[in-house]
Order: sequence, then structure tokens, then C-alpha cells
Amino acid sequence: MSEAQNRPPVLQLKSQKFREAREKDWRALAALVDRAEKGKLKQFTTEELLNLPLLYRQAISSLSMAQSISLDRNMIGYLQALCARAYVSVYGPQARVTELVAGFFGDLARSVRKLWAEFWLAFTCFFLGALGGWLMCAFDQSWYTALVGHSAQGRDLMSTPEQLRATLGGAEKDDWLAVFSVYLMSNNTQVALLAFAVGVMGGVPTALLLIMNGMMLGAMLWLFFERGVGVEFAAWLSIHGTTEILAILLAGAAGFYLARRLLFPGHLTRMAALAQAGKVSGTLMLGVILLLVLAGIIEGYGRQTITDTGWRFAIGGGLLLVWVAYFALAGRAFGRKAVRDGR
Amino acid sequence: MAAKGKKERDLMGGSVSQAMGSEAGLRTVITTPEGVRLAFKAADFGTRLGAFLLDYLIMILIPIGMVILYLVLPLPYLMKVENWNGPMVQFLIILFLIMLFFVRSGYFMFFEMGPRAATPGKRVMKIRVIAHDGGHLTPSMVVTRNVLREVEFYLPLTLAASISNSGGSGWAIFAALIWTVGVALLPLFNKQQARLGDFLGGTRVVHVPREVLSYDLVNLEVERKVGIVFTPEQVAAYGEKELQVLETVLRERRPATLTAVAERIRKRIDYNVPSDPRDIAPDETFLKAYYAALRTHLEHRMLLGRRRKDKFDETR
Repeated sequence: MSEAQNRPPVLQLKSQKFREAREKDWRALAALVDRAEKGKLKQFTTEELLNLPLLYRQAISSLSMAQSISLDRNMIGYLQALCARAYVSVYGPQARVTELVAGFFGDLARSVRKLWAEFWLAFTCFFLGALGGWLMCAFDQSWYTALVGHSAQGRDLMSTPEQLRATLGGAEKDDWLAVFSVYLMSNNTQVALLAFAVGVMGGVPTALLLIMNGMMLGAMLWLFFERGVGVEFAAWLSIHGTTEILAILLAGAAGFYLARRLLFPGHLTRMAALAQAGKVSGTLMLGVILLLVLAGIIEGYGRQTITDTGWRFAIGGGLLLVWVAYFALAGRAFGRKAVRDGR
Repeated sequence: MAAKGKKERDLMGGSVSQAMGSEAGLRTVITTPEGVRLAFKAADFGTRLGAFLLDYLIMILIPIGMVILYLVLPLPYLMKVENWNGPMVQFLIILFLIMLFFVRSGYFMFFEMGPRAATPGKRVMKIRVIAHDGGHLTPSMVVTRNVLREVEFYLPLTLAASISNSGGSGWAIFAALIWTVGVALLPLFNKQQARLGDFLGGTRVVHVPREVLSYDLVNLEVERKVGIVFTPEQVAAYGEKELQVLETVLRERRPATLTAVAERIRKRIDYNVPSDPRDIAPDETFLKAYYAALRTHLEHRMLLGRRRKDKFDETR
């Protein structure tokens, strides 16, 4: 302890020499980060762009060094703040847009395949609900109003087959259908988001939501088949419905996945399991939103312009095939990539 | 004078942790891809609530603004449309519905996927979203953290509204209320102040402040000229925490605090005040000299791997 006193006084502390040698780089980094924070990253010269990560790594190593040799709190605080700011500039959300977009479509298909069990559970819930809705209405008509209720839009028990056929478009040009389809799209997205989010409540609300939506579909199918316009209705529904129902089922699967990881976290802590589940299902939900917007566009345009039953079935079925192929095959490591990965 | 009293106690009494405590708490530590642990200051509950309220205000004002615009602007005249109740109105209604949809479901996602990773409300409060795993903030994280708002905020809201509309039981409203309050207050019960959506999305909301690099307080050349010398025992009276409090005092330079702290230190280290009044150094000079000696001593120990946390730390 006394050696510090007995030696001739040093003119500079080690921490001061350290600071003197590196301060210029810190200031240079701070200037770059200032500009990046103002959204001027695009105006950077190539040299500056290459310098940013270099200076950032230097500052990071300065910080970890400073923490073990210096007791100057101001300097350490400055370095911490500088590294944090540089970190969010370097690892910001848009650091690699093209990579993200390219990687997304593979990730999406992989996430869907990972959740196959949950998907079939959602599928079962939804179509059992549809079957239930049909049977309930078949036994007692009054269920129809209870199940479909406010979203009947002129498709109630009093309607004649002609009136029902009119709701399927084509027969007469109903201008307000476009507005209605936008409304439906935002409503469906809402249902999908909710089906996913209530997964954190243990999955039961997700199942209920799927069953209820299935019942509504089943009840409507019953009404149209009862009045003899069932095939036309199915065609009208299929053109956008295959995409839309698939999206809702995927959202339900994501909700079930959350619930599963919450209840059975496996070898991870519950928090870690949830964070991991959130990552997988986030990709899935982004896909769900895209699918629903696409379904909305098809609904708005295709449903009015394409009125032939055969064509409607063909387009709806074709889209379904495309989705199944995409989710089953995309993002797999085939031949060339497997070789490149060292096999 | 409260500040002065606190500083005194920090140097004298046992409550050093008070000065540091406000900063030591509420930290979000992430490990960067370089393997360095970076500490962020977690955005506290009040700040986040403020950002949230601002965002909701904007979300409510957007559709209201659109309706007012529609009413104020003489649109049929401007666009020279004959049949006003035809496709034009439909187009406007579709636009309005899409806007409503965006505001309701896309607002948070849109802004948090942007380069600043913050909604306008968050930008006003100077906070932003980061990835907790230390990597890039990906769109899927942003989607998850914001879709969870459905159960955190909208669901209880709509449930309570529909139940009270249909004259449902008070118990159901009560349950919705308990859920809302429980989920809403979740950030208060963890150090990183994360809400449910943050845990699931693997994100955190943090401050990214800017700090100014000040000058180094130690100038050994000057200290040699001043010539105040301390014995090894005198220098060994304090630890790192006290050194940092002393640094704060010296940087703030409030005369009353300087005097009080100098008095306390002289007393604790049994400093022999020179008999000649002309030799008595001003308080600030004395404190700077002591700071230089203490820091030299502590940093020297530090290099040898023997750190001393505070004055109660008996590591020799």
C-alpha cells in the first residue's frame, strides 16, 4: 500500500494515458453516431460507412478496458452512453433490409412446419365448430340468428334463394361490396391477432375463438345449402376464403404454440421459453397479416369481377395449392445448399 | 440543502448506496454480438405510460382529423365530380376504413420497424425499442410485442364495454379490471420494466441518453506544485464509492457542499490543518488533492486486482 507513496510521483495515471490515446477515436465515433441519429446514414461516404463498425468495436473494447483500469466515473459513463448509441446505430432495425426480406419467406415456411401439431389442432377446432354450427341449425333454425346475428348482411332465415344468390355478387352490381370487403378484411385481421394474443391466457380462449368462427361459417353454409344455392356460396367463399381461413388457422396455431410453451416450457425457464415462442410466432403472425391483406385484395376485386362458379373454385383451390406447396417446401435445405453446408 | 445533506451522509454515514442506487437500479444489460455486456437504462414506468398516452392521443386524433378535413374541404367542388354519391365516396370511405385499420393495428408496428425503433410518443420521451438478445431488432419481434397489446389493452377494454352495455354481472367487469391492472402493472415488478409483449417479443424499451465527456479531474503536475501530502493511512480511509461521490461533488462545484465535504474528510482522516492561516488550502484545492491521491491509490490497487468497494470493505 505504501509503495504508491514512496515512489517518485508519476505525472500521469495509467487511466489518463489510456484516455489520451483513445479519446480522438471516441470523438470521431460520436460525430458519426450524431449524424446517423439524424437519419443521415445514407449520406455517409464509403470510408465513413466502413469506419463506423470499426470505431464502434474500438469503443466497445475501450469500455471494457476502462471498467477494469479507470475510476473516472464521468469517462466510464460517457463510454457507456457512446457504446449504447453506437450499438443501436450499428444493430438498428433496418441494418439489413434485403437480407431480412430474403430470409423472411424461408423463416415463415419453417415456422409453419415447426407448428404443424398446433396447426392441426386449430384446423380441428375450426372445422368441428363448422360442423357443430351446421348441425345446430339443422336441428333448430333459431340457432342461425344466434350464431350469425349481426354479420348476416341480408342473409337471414327469411331470405329466398334469389335474395341469397344476390348477396353472392355478379347478378347485380352492388357498389358497396368493396367497402364491405375492406371492413371484413380489417375485422378478420383483428380476429386473427386476437386469436394469437389470447394464447398467453392458456390457449382456451384461442380454441373458443376458432370454434365460434367455425360455427358462424357452418351456420351460413347450412342456410345456403338449405335454400339450394350451397355450391354457389362455397365457390363465392372459396375465392378468398381459402387464403383467409388458412391465415386465421395459422394465427390460432401461433396462439396454441404460445400456450404450449407457457404451460410446458421444457428445459428452458418459462420466460426464455416464452421469448423463444414469441420469436417463432412473430414471424408467423407477420405472414398471417400479409395473407389477410392479400385475401382482402382478392375479396375486393376478384369476387365482383369473377362470377363464374367454376372459375371461383379454380382460383380458390389454386391459391390453396400454392400455399400448401409453399409452406411445405420453402426454406428447406435442398441438394446444393446441403452440400455447401458441409455434407 | 437536501442535496448537501445527502452528500454528507454519503461520505460519512452508511447510506452511500443512495447516491448510486438511483442509477444502479432499473438496468437492462444486453450482451452484444462482440461479447461485451452493455448496460442500458431501462425506460421507467412513468416514461412509458407517457409515451403510450401520447401515442393513443395521436391514434385518436388521426380519424377525427380526417373527418374534420372531409367536412371542411369542399371536396365535390374541388374534384369536379358530378355524381358525388358514386365511386368517389366509396373510395373515400375505403380510404377511411384502411386508415382506421392502420391506426388500430399497424401504428405501433409501422413506427417500431422504422430506423428509430420508436413511435412518435416514444421519440418525444426519448426512448426506443431494442432486441434483448443483443442482435438486430427484427420485424417478427416488433410484431409479437405489439400484437400482445390486444390482450394487454384492447381485450379487457372491449370486454368491459360489452359487459357493461349488456348489463352483465359486476364480477365479469371486475375480472377484466383485475387482468388489465395486473398486466398493465407488470413492468413495475421486474427490474427491466418489461411488459408482457416485451417478454414475448424478446425486446426491451430503453433510454439512449447522450453524455458529455468532461475533463479529467486529476492533474498530477498541479498537485505536485500544490504539495498537499497525505499519509498512507489517510489515503486508505475510503473506497471506490466514496471516490465517485467525491467526483460528483467536485464536478458540481457547489461551494456549500465543497466546504461541508472537505470538513468531513479532514475530520475522518485526522488531517493536520497547518498552523499558519496562509498555508491553509481552499476547500476545493484540498478536495482535488485528496481526490487525486485517493484515485491514484485505488487505481493502483485495481491494476493488481484488489478492488475496494467502499470504506466498509476491509479487503487489504
